[in-house]
Parts: sequence; structure tokens; C-alpha cells
Amino acid sequence: MSLPIIGAAGPPKKAKDRIFDRGDRMPATYYKDQLLDLEAKGELIVHRITEENDPVEVDTKYGRKKIIPRQNTWHHKSCGQCGHIPGYSTSIFWLHRALDYRYEDPRDQTSCTAWNYYASSTSNPAAQAAVALRNFAQAYEDGFYPIIHCGTSYGHYKEVREELLHHQKLRDQTRRVLDKLGKPMVFPEEVVHYSEWIHVMRDQIAARQVRDFSGITATVHPACHYHKLVVEDAVYDKELYDGQRTAIVSALVKALGAEVADYSTWHDCCGFGFRHILVSRDFSRSFATIRKIERMKEEADPDVTLTHDTGCVTTLDKSQFAAQAHGRNVGIPVMSDAQFAALAMGAHPYKICQLHWHGVDMRPLMELMGIDHRKAWTEFEETSKAIKSGEQDFLAWEDC
Amino acid sequence: MESNPILVVGGGPAGLEAARGAGELGYPVLVVEKTPVLGGSPILAPYAALTPDMEDAETAMKRVIDAVEADPLVELRTGTTVTAAEGELPELSVTLAGPDGEEVVKVGAVILCTGFQHFDPGRETQMYGYYEYDDVITLVDIERMLKDERVVRPSTGEPPKRLCFVQCVGSRDRQIGNEWCSKVCCGIACKEAIEIKELLPSCQVFVFYIDMRMYGFWEDQIYWKAQEEHKVQFIRGIVTEITKRGDEVVIKGEDTTMGRPVEVAMDVVVLSVGMEPSDGSREMAEIFGLPLESHGFIETIDGPLNTVSTSKPGFYAAGAAVGPADLEDSISMAGAAVMKAAGFLRKQLVGA
Repeated sequence: MSLPIIGAAGPPKKAKDRIFDRGDRMPATYYKDQLLDLEAKGELIVHRITEENDPVEVDTKYGRKKIIPRQNTWHHKSCGQCGHIPGYSTSIFWLHRALDYRYEDPRDQTSCTAWNYYASSTSNPAAQAAVALRNFAQAYEDGFYPIIHCGTSYGHYKEVREELLHHQKLRDQTRRVLDKLGKPMVFPEEVVHYSEWIHVMRDQIAARQVRDFSGITATVHPACHYHKLVVEDAVYDKELYDGQRTAIVSALVKALGAEVADYSTWHDCCGFGFRHILVSRDFSRSFATIRKIERMKEEADPDVTLTHDTGCVTTLDKSQFAAQAHGRNVGIPVMSDAQFAALAMGAHPYKICQLHWHGVDMRPLMELMGIDHRKAWTEFEETSKAIKSGEQDFLAWEDC
Repeated sequence: MESNPILVVGGGPAGLEAARGAGELGYPVLVVEKTPVLGGSPILAPYAALTPDMEDAETAMKRVIDAVEADPLVELRTGTTVTAAEGELPELSVTLAGPDGEEVVKVGAVILCTGFQHFDPGRETQMYGYYEYDDVITLVDIERMLKDERVVRPSTGEPPKRLCFVQCVGSRDRQIGNEWCSKVCCGIACKEAIEIKELLPSCQVFVFYIDMRMYGFWEDQIYWKAQEEHKVQFIRGIVTEITKRGDEVVIKGEDTTMGRPVEVAMDVVVLSVGMEPSDGSREMAEIFGLPLESHGFIETIDGPLNTVSTSKPGFYAAGAAVGPADLEDSISMAGAAVMKAAGFLRKQLVGA
């Protein structure tokens, strides 16, 4: 690798002329080697991504290639997603079905408990690790590769990985719990977030796009637990932000023909903050509205804000409703990358993406997307009536 | 006494001092420098003034280069690299690739002065946007402007009104694997801050630091001087993000003295990039079969009482090839390496 700058006296190059070349410089330690060492010693099983998972390699910030499985995935869902934004996880599954990728939606997944851990209010390392490994063991036994919907779980499981790799005592404690459950001690070779699946599928999604997004400007909020916590696992792309910020979500927006607009608080937390949303919720609401949403409006005036985590969608969306009490009415629609991708491919805005659960009015955005929201709402109401009357038990994929 | 020459790899401050010392002791020296010029980083960057005495870098280095060029015992090969080595010292056959093609020469001892390279801020853990924003630059960039005696905002060409340094960029960072202090960045930031204030007295200059590491006399020569005479403001706390708002770059971080977050708009942000093992050091270690120490620099074996001997007799290393080093360290180590190399050759010749 050459020096970043060598030359004569005078002003430096403009940023656009500075070429970043990572070269072969990598951090000295690499978790996967340590994981494989433990496997060689018989301490655990490394759940590998195989050809059956139809894997794709992506770049990371520090140069290592991360492997993302596309096929045969075990979906570790998010509590807040299912509870507050049901169209989020439905969209993820809808995309898998529409693109014909096999997945398992398990009914025996355990909550990761990490929200309370990050809010300093519960649990201990052995309990945390045991929960993570129970889920991973379940995926392994089911024959699917785990993929995590929740940014909190995703970040936390990587912290658990670090703890397990470094502490024999913790491994022993966790193994005793797993023995009682009759589960093997398994850790996946990669901890994969669902948004990484969408990232590597973006060209296939774009190829199946039926709605024109070229008139849409989007701001992106990257989840802290995705790109700031255990940074070395996040996906980067030298074609986006010069390889200096995670490419996740932004790459999808570009692939779908929409414009990605920048703003000065891009790196900031959405306001959720774990502890804050539990014990200082006003701070979360103010931060989300003043530091994020209003800055986006002022600097980029987007049609929609896209993110890829439960807490981020809820905080950025619901806080706007709370702020209306103080006369702050910005009204930027907020949704996940999964919902945005599903809408691009023609998903029903209410039956699948369930945009009626969101706090901000989505109708102007839908009009920009070419969606007849009045007709869609009528369709949704008709289905709801059928369920209410008992004519239909529930909404099935076939009805969507 | 006749011997094969001492091979000095690298024509920077340490390499030139090693050549000068060997010549003065009466030993033939062959200096191999891969770039077309002698002088190393102070000339290649180029630096404006040396730390801490502020002497013009070109003048200071020219004095050393002139001395070496005037010595008939010193043979200088620029634009030349070592590509292979075979045999044993003091009859080691070394292949050189230069402007006139390849040549094999015999050498009696080897001193590696392959220096360092600046950390590339694109690899930084923090989000500094060096490749995104014109007005985020490095210590080396500002040095080049100081050399030109014209410090401007790269985006506009206008003099900055507010400029800050961010310390420890690529140093003291476990996440990127650089678990060392680069030793000189604090001093160089202070030196550059003083030079900026001398050129632009109305410019507000800030230094964001973890802790200022001012060794020996640098404390009063440049650190206190920067604060007391030039009113440079030092703020304890690391900057974590740099973004852009309108025409300004905005730095965000924590003021750890006040215990609160800071967000300040700046015209220019200077990243104090640290030292890393050079590609040349790694290549020479491979060719000569010398181990690297755990940080990736050339390993020396005898601890603090012998800073230049490698694990192979007759092979020595000096300056930033063996770890972060200031000019004083580099020059002193070069002298020590020459003494050891001369001792090695004398023992070979007289059989002592």
C-alpha cells in the first residue's frame, strides 16, 4: 500500500481524488480463527455456511470478506418488530417467498433479552450466552442457518461471541445450561443480519421491481447495533460513501433507482438508546425528532427515511407523533428496508407491509410510488371484515 | 582493513546518518533507496520544519545529504530496491534492482532503515470522512501547506477561521490492530499549531487529545509554547465522528474534562495520523529472513540496552523500522547500528 499522500508542497487533494486502498493491512486477531480453534479442541461446533446456503461474499470495513447465506435460513425474529411493526417481518418473509428462497420461521425461538441488558437492568453473562446458544443450537438442529431480524440481538450475539471466545469459565457455565436442555454447543461462523440478506439480494429485488422509485428521495439511518457495535462485521462497499460508511440500506435504495440523500446527523443514534427509551423516554423522543428527523427535513427534505432495525423504525416514527404535542409536525414517513423492497416488488401496502401501523401518514409517499392507497385500503378492509365475520380464519399468504 | 560494504537500506534520516557514521569510521557503505530522492519522509512528504527546533526540513536534511554525498566511502543508489539475498554475512550476495537493471553485490553487514508509513485514515475505526470531505486532511497534508507557507481550506482556497487537530488517528487503537503510541504526533501537532498561528494569527486552533504525550524537552519547547504564546486550545476527549453541515465540517465527540458531548463546526480538521510499519520493512524482513515483532515492525532482541540488533548477527535496524521513533531516536539508533556493524565486521576481519 502506498502512502496516502506524497507530493509537492501546496494544498492537498480534493476528497474525490483521494483513493482509498486498504491493501493487506488487517487487524491482528480474527474471531473465526479462534472459533475454529475451539472447535478443534472439541469445545463447540461451528455452524458453517455451505453451498446449500447459496452464499455470497461481501466486503467489510477492515477488509475481511463476510459470507452471507441466501438459501435455507432460520429466522430469528425481533420482539419489538412483531409487536409494533408487524409489516416489517412479514415483508422479510414475503421477499423470501417472492424470490423463491427457502426459509424456516421457527415457533420455538427465545427472546435474546438484550434490550434489558443494554439498558443495564437484567441478567448475567451465562444467561445471556445460554439464550444465544440455545437459539443457535435450534437453528443447527433444524438444518437452517440463523439470520437475525433484530439489530439488538445481532449486536448482542456478537458481544456474546467475544465473551465466549475469551472466557473458559463462561463457556463451561453455558455448556452446563445447554446440557440440561439437551442441546449441542453451536456457534455460527458468521452472525448475519437480515438486512445483509436484502443487501446481497438487491439486484434480484431490482430485477423484479414493478413500481418506479426514481422520483423518491430517501435518507438512511444505519442502526448503531449494526455498524457501531462489533464494527468489523458490518458490510461496506467501496462504491458507496467511498467505503467509509456502511453500505447497508443505502445500496438497496440506489439499486431500486431512488436517490440517497445525506444529512449531518447520519451517524447519530435514532434516539432509542435502550436505557433512554426505558427510563428517559422524553429524551429519546426529543433526540429522534430534533437531532434526526428535523435535521433530515432541513438538510435533505426526504420523501421517506429508511432504516433496518426495530428500535430505529419505532423511535423515528412514533417520536414524530409525540412531538406533535409540542407543535413539531415534520411528517417524514419511516419504514424498514424490507418494507421498501417489498413495495418495490409490488407487495400490498396494508396486507403485507402493514403501513397503517406506522405513526406518520404514508399516503403521500404511496402516491409517489404509484400506489392507489384508497383501493388498497378498501381491499384490506374487506379482508378484515371477512376475518371478523368468521368467514375467514386469518390472512394467508394466498390472500395477499 | 578491507571489507565488503555495509549495506544500508533506506535513504531517510536514519539511513543517511548510518551512512555518514560508517564513512567516518572508515568503512565502505552502500546506501540503497527505493525512491528517486534521498531524505526520507521529511523530503518526500515534504515537511516544512522539523520538530522541535523548527529548523527548515530541507535545509537540515540537505546538510546530512551533502555530508554523505561528499564521502568517497559512501556509494548511493537511488531508485533501487533489494530484491533477493543469498549466502551469509560478511559475504552476503544481495540482488539490487535499479534504473540500470539488476546487479548482485557482496555486502559485509546490513542496516535496515526502512522507516514507517503514515496510517491511512480510511482504515480508522472512528468515522472521520477523510475520503468524503475536502476539509478533512492529515498531518502530512497540513505540513505540505506549511511548506508552501499558505494554509487554506481545501474546499474554498480561503484561510480557515477555525481549525482543529484530532490526535491518535491510527494509534492506540485495538480495533484496527495498532496497539501503540506513535510518539511524535502530539509534538508535531503542537509544532504545526504554532506554525499555523504564526501564519494566521486570527485562526482559532484546537487540539482534541486523549492525553498529550510530550517527551522530554518537547513539553516546554512546543506544548507550553503552543498554549501560552500562541493560545492554542487543548480539549481532552476523542472525536468520534466528522460530518458535513452546509459548508462546514462538524466534529462530534466527548469533552472528558467537562464530561459532556461536544459538537463543533470547523473549517479544517487535521487528522494526526500515526506511524505504521512500512511496506519496505516488511519486504526487507522477508528477504533477509528477519522476524517482525508483534506489532509488525522489525524485531530487535536485546531490550532497552540494545535497540538495534536483530536476531541474526550482522543485521541491524534503526529508526522507525523498529517502532515509532522521532528524529532524535532515529539518528541515535543509526549511530548505535553503525557501531555494532563496524564491530561485527572487525571481528570477522581480525577473527576476534
